[in-house]
Amino acid sequence: MGNFILRRRLQTVPMLLLASLIIFMLFAKTPGDFIDGNITLTAARAAELKAIYGLDQPLFTRYLHWLGQLLRGDLGFSLQYQIPVSQLLNQYIWNSFLLASVALVFYWGIGLAVGIASALKPNSLFDHVVSVVVFAAMSFPTFFLCLLLIKWFAVDLHWLPVGGMTNTGSDESGWAWVMQVAAHLALPVLALVMLQAGSLTRYFRASMLDVVKMDFIRTARAKGLRERTVIFKHALRNALLPIITLLGFELPGLFSGAIITEKVFNWPGAGHIHIDSLAARDYPVLMGFTLFLAVLTIVGNLIADVLYAWADPRIRVR
Amino acid sequence: MARLLNRLTTQPTHFTLALKIALLSGMVAFSTASFADEPLKEGITPATDASQIPTAAKLRKETVVAGISEPQGIFNPYFFVNGWDENVTNVIFSRLIDWDSHGKLVPGLAESWTISPDNKVYTIKLRPNLTFSDGSPLTAEDVAFTLTVLYDPKYDGDTDITLANIAGGAEYKAGKAESVSGLKVIDAQTLQVTTSQPGATTLAKIGGPVLSKAYYGKGYQRGNLDYLRTLHGKPLGNGPYIYDKYIPGQEIRFHANTHFYRGTPPTPRFIYRVTNPSTNFQLFQTGETDYDAFTSRPDDIEQLKMLGFANINLYGSSDYSKVEFNVHRPALQDAKVRQALIYGLDRQKLIDVVYQGYGKVAIEPIAPISWAYNADGVNPYKYDPAQAKKLLDEAGWKPGPDGIRVKDGKRLELTLLVSKKVLNDALIPIAKENWQQIGVLLKPQVVDFNALMSQRKAGNYDLASFSTSTLNDPHDGVWDYYSTEAKESGYNNPQVDKLINEGNAELDTEKRKPIYHQLYKVLADDPPVILLGYREILSASSARVTGFKPDIYNGLTGSLPDVKIVK
Repeated sequence: MGNFILRRRLQTVPMLLLASLIIFMLFAKTPGDFIDGNITLTAARAAELKAIYGLDQPLFTRYLHWLGQLLRGDLGFSLQYQIPVSQLLNQYIWNSFLLASVALVFYWGIGLAVGIASALKPNSLFDHVVSVVVFAAMSFPTFFLCLLLIKWFAVDLHWLPVGGMTNTGSDESGWAWVMQVAAHLALPVLALVMLQAGSLTRYFRASMLDVVKMDFIRTARAKGLRERTVIFKHALRNALLPIITLLGFELPGLFSGAIITEKVFNWPGAGHIHIDSLAARDYPVLMGFTLFLAVLTIVGNLIADVLYAWADPRIRVR
Repeated sequence: MARLLNRLTTQPTHFTLALKIALLSGMVAFSTASFADEPLKEGITPATDASQIPTAAKLRKETVVAGISEPQGIFNPYFFVNGWDENVTNVIFSRLIDWDSHGKLVPGLAESWTISPDNKVYTIKLRPNLTFSDGSPLTAEDVAFTLTVLYDPKYDGDTDITLANIAGGAEYKAGKAESVSGLKVIDAQTLQVTTSQPGATTLAKIGGPVLSKAYYGKGYQRGNLDYLRTLHGKPLGNGPYIYDKYIPGQEIRFHANTHFYRGTPPTPRFIYRVTNPSTNFQLFQTGETDYDAFTSRPDDIEQLKMLGFANINLYGSSDYSKVEFNVHRPALQDAKVRQALIYGLDRQKLIDVVYQGYGKVAIEPIAPISWAYNADGVNPYKYDPAQAKKLLDEAGWKPGPDGIRVKDGKRLELTLLVSKKVLNDALIPIAKENWQQIGVLLKPQVVDFNALMSQRKAGNYDLASFSTSTLNDPHDGVWDYYSTEAKESGYNNPQVDKLINEGNAELDTEKRKPIYHQLYKVLADDPPVILLGYREILSASSARVTGFKPDIYNGLTGSLPDVKIVK
């Protein structure tokens, strides 16, 4: 097992290098740079600024410079925020992580519950009702759904805040702070759960039903095991195998921010800095953030592989 | 999966584009009807029913909250990158010289100034007993330090001080001098600035916010500004409010400055709350903000009116939108072709569709709110396809078999660079159809703004649509058309150059007026651009507070020293 993990980890090194090269080229080759977008600059001033930021250097020099920085653990300096990229990301990604992980717990919970319920009693009334509700929620356009939730729960009923993460001007700490954040979390989490639960529910349900039809389940039932034991011990573990891979892919998403949801609810997350940085051609942020997501994707894959190997010993042998 | 879809929907697709065009053409049909019912007048329309003020707002006894879009945390007036941070620094820092609501310079921290007869030497007199918010004195030394930093070779902010032509600035930048020789501190209250050539925008450039030498200049050495970055999040200013705290993505807090030169502002605390156009109305409606800017559409105005407690402010912007001609292109070298393209474009329809009554067709490169605006005798280019056809005929472009005009075997096909925004969404279908009628084939290319600017710089365009930034002086509206600055478009008209120089060299507003009037006439006859429109800006404040009188030159921050909570 240790050998397997080591081997998988070594494979990630060339992958990361390749990712850094692709990310750099992708952004460096996008037409326009940070200075080009400023129409108030005279040609002479624009040239001066490009020299200060090193944007007049050849591509390869710029890439090596960036790579050198990365190897020293430095993600660079944001042009438009004038702070280190790592510090900038630190300001926003944890908020995205909070929102996404709370939502994840809910929609995975719902997905699992629906999957199990469907496997217990496929095509029952409950199964049908849940399918309809979940699909109806999923089919809303994100933007519209968010605004609708705001209109109902914040403007009309005054139950929950319109947006943000805490009350304006609030200096609360401890429990009071937690309660405030929870109140502000409610609507965006609800929106995300409604939007995400659908596909996951469908996936879990299909996966469970597939497993339940298999021979070993019939064997387990034939041995006279209780239905509960059959479903939770034998079927669920096997149905979870393909789902583990899916969980691995969720990791980068936890930090990258649900762009529209965060935007509509004014949630101070990472989604909007990605968009802004692209609009402003803030290369250090763009490259740093994308590379961070690439690393998370690779790490997520690694975790999924390891979990998979743990759950299914056949993989380790290869 | 849903997350992936989110990303996709933020990108324009052909489908959404087609949908928008369809919607817009629908709006063309309805637009005349929709703003027929009493459009809002410029200025402040007072709230009708103050009893509707939401409870959440009433509970804030000492704090006024205004909306802001995307502050980035660079709270230094000479280093911020986007205009939102400028809104923040305007709260913390006062200017030496301010603008009035028509763009004229008026005293700020400077009590008065005199200019030598050759318009080159400025003597600026500060008000007595000025201090920074920590109580330390503000003197001419601080002003000189501020201007020196702007000449530092490593200075990478937005202010281009070289345009002020302060004597000795270039030498300091190049490392040939220890200080900027044109900056002379006469006494603690008086600064003399010598420039090498007269410039109409020089005084506004010199008269900006003042950085404390004791605070920002500690450890300053020519060529080393890195240490300043650590102070971007800890500003020390002299404005109406003192900075307290920035919570990224959420809010910025301030408290009243007891050392403010115009007296302590009546409202003890002020907060900028981060909002966005999709929910800023709801935040205002529920009382979470007291002031915010909105789009000036009839629907939004109607909604604000229905709230009852909103004081609605409508004011003119100072920028203008335009379509630039690439005069390097043979077809566009002929002024007649350019004129024909303006005559052949129904700009009134475009402005009606986009601004729905809250915008005007532009006829000169300065907005109507400026003192320099004077439309008398300037060709307004009213929509006239017949005139357009006549001009194209005269220029030798004859209709080909498919209706598209041909000259010397070349078809009159023009590319148009546009970025995604509402104005351009309407411009494309209208221009395409209008120009088709006069025999010009338009090929629009939708790219993002930086890509547009970069393609423009590379010369890969016939026409490019974009707007200017906010313009404070008429010179800012025309410097782009000066032959040496118009390298991309290749526009070159010696008479325009001469008039731009004259307008910039004269500092007396009354004497500048006729020069610009003449310049606008010349620019209309030999047009470098198709002027599209001027827009109006809408903001609203809660009836809970009084004193907001925003205009484009001062924004909401100009009102802050007077904003009061109604008891």
